[in-house]
Amino acid sequence: MSLLTEYDSDTAALRRGIRRFLLMALLVMLALIAAIAVRQGLFRQTTSYSFVTNSAQDIAKGQAVRIAGFRVGSVADVSLKDDGQVAVSMEIDADHMRFVTADARVELRKEGLVGSPTLEIVPGPDKTRLAAAQARLSFSRADGLTALANQVRDEFIPILKDIKLITGALADPQKGLPGTLAQVRASTEAINALLANRSHQLDNIGDAAVRVLGKAEEDLSHLGQTLETANQRLPAILDRTQQVLDHVEKIAAEAEVSVPPALRDGAAAAADAREIVGGAKQAWPIRNFVDAPAPAALKADSDLRGEAGRAR
Amino acid sequence: MRAKLALMAALMLTGCGSAPNSANSPAEPPRFKAALEAEGDGAKRYGRGDYAVAARRFDEAARLYASIDDEPGTARNRLHLARSELALGRAEAALLVLEKTERGTDGSLALDALLLKAQAQLAVARIDAAQQGLAAASGLCGSGCPQLASLHLLQARAALAERRAADALAHAETALKLLQDKDEAAETGNAWRLIATARLAAGDAGGALSAAGTALGIDRRLASPEKIAGDWLLIGDARRKIGAGDGAEAYRRALDVANAAGLADIATIATQALSAAGKTTATVR
Repeated sequence: MSLLTEYDSDTAALRRGIRRFLLMALLVMLALIAAIAVRQGLFRQTTSYSFVTNSAQDIAKGQAVRIAGFRVGSVADVSLKDDGQVAVSMEIDADHMRFVTADARVELRKEGLVGSPTLEIVPGPDKTRLAAAQARLSFSRADGLTALANQVRDEFIPILKDIKLITGALADPQKGLPGTLAQVRASTEAINALLANRSHQLDNIGDAAVRVLGKAEEDLSHLGQTLETANQRLPAILDRTQQVLDHVEKIAAEAEVSVPPALRDGAAAAADAREIVGGAKQAWPIRNFVDAPAPAALKADSDLRGEAGRAR
Repeated sequence: MRAKLALMAALMLTGCGSAPNSANSPAEPPRFKAALEAEGDGAKRYGRGDYAVAARRFDEAARLYASIDDEPGTARNRLHLARSELALGRAEAALLVLEKTERGTDGSLALDALLLKAQAQLAVARIDAAQQGLAAASGLCGSGCPQLASLHLLQARAALAERRAADALAHAETALKLLQDKDEAAETGNAWRLIATARLAAGDAGGALSAAGTALGIDRRLASPEKIAGDWLLIGDARRKIGAGDGAEAYRRALDVANAAGLADIATIATQALSAAGKTTATVR
């Protein structure tokens, strides 16, 4: 009998334990559900705005909507209308309605030129009139990297062509620098010949004059040699210049392809880092350790330059 | 035991879940936050002695506050800017800033503006204007404002500029009493330096020497080259008056400090003092 009584009391204790465990599990589950709901913003009050665009490219449901870089809401729905236009509706936190003016426009921007696309609400100049709930805002797309790259290419290629034309003209053996130098050399030789004839005719003028003319002849002869050397070397130099320019053109073309991604990666990484640091500063519990900025007070100092000691 | 653990876990989860919502909605509007950050950064740089950058940050903060129609913030940062200009030795620029600030100030800020203006006017030797400003400040301050010690110190400087050594000494000693047990090392050093100057002007070279020594000890802890060099000049003057032979050594110390810190005006004064002491061996670099 006593054995049965003991058995019954053990069973009752086990039942109580199970009940307690189930109750705690239920409480934990409810807390988790509440936490997730709060985190997902289910209890936040939101306001709806919309805009119409001709393409849904880079716009998706759930996409972030920002004001001055702060995430204030998301895209709630993207739908195709009967007339082929795309209707986009956004849900914005009611707290941030005060920034959405009646003349505000929605811009599709990309982080770091080609990063992930976000919708930015840009308030208009008239801050006195706010947009009503459900209002339809105007929409525009910011220029992307492709447009920028095409613009750079359009500006750069004519310059390269001009450079090529100029160097081609300079390297022309008939009309360019080599031809001109050949003419100079011919003229120099003619002057040499003329001076040789004149030196014979002027023998009687005097030894001094002959020496001077001899010196001049020598100098001109050197000049002729120099010009001849230049004439031989310049075409090679110009050819080399042409090759260098070809290389520059090639490098520019390659850079057009390779540099924008590098820029994009750098800008995106910097933006990410800023966002991470900013987010970390605001996140619990880190924000408890970061001092909130407050008005500064400077220590009193009625003699900042120590002028009292200098009075003499 | 298990129930307690489960309860703690539930509380932690609830805490973690609720945290991001409040973080997502910024407490201050972005422009106001940017103004506060510029002001805080300026104050940090001012504290480090980087006055030029501090001035730029205060100017930026003042503009940001003005753009959101925050008059106290604008006025406060203009005063910070004027203080930075004064620390850079640009008293005229400080006066220009203060003229713009006068409209938006009242109460404690108005008093701060008057004191800074008097300081700038003393720096450019406009003694009468400084005296008028100090009289107005005295009316605003009454008998117990927080800036009373600074007011007395500026009155002491004005009195010294008018060669009223006894008045200057009285003001400086009053300021020193007010500064007792307060964390105002710069003002305490200023008070001792003024006491030394006033005592020297009144012919009490021994008293001046001990006061200048005290000021030097404080200014060394504050690492302020202008003030340290000024203290050494005072010590040199006091030693010469007493007849101690090591006045030239004090001038040389002032010259060394001024040269090392690039303070041309103090270096010139120290060189002249050395020359007068008959021991010109150093030159201004």
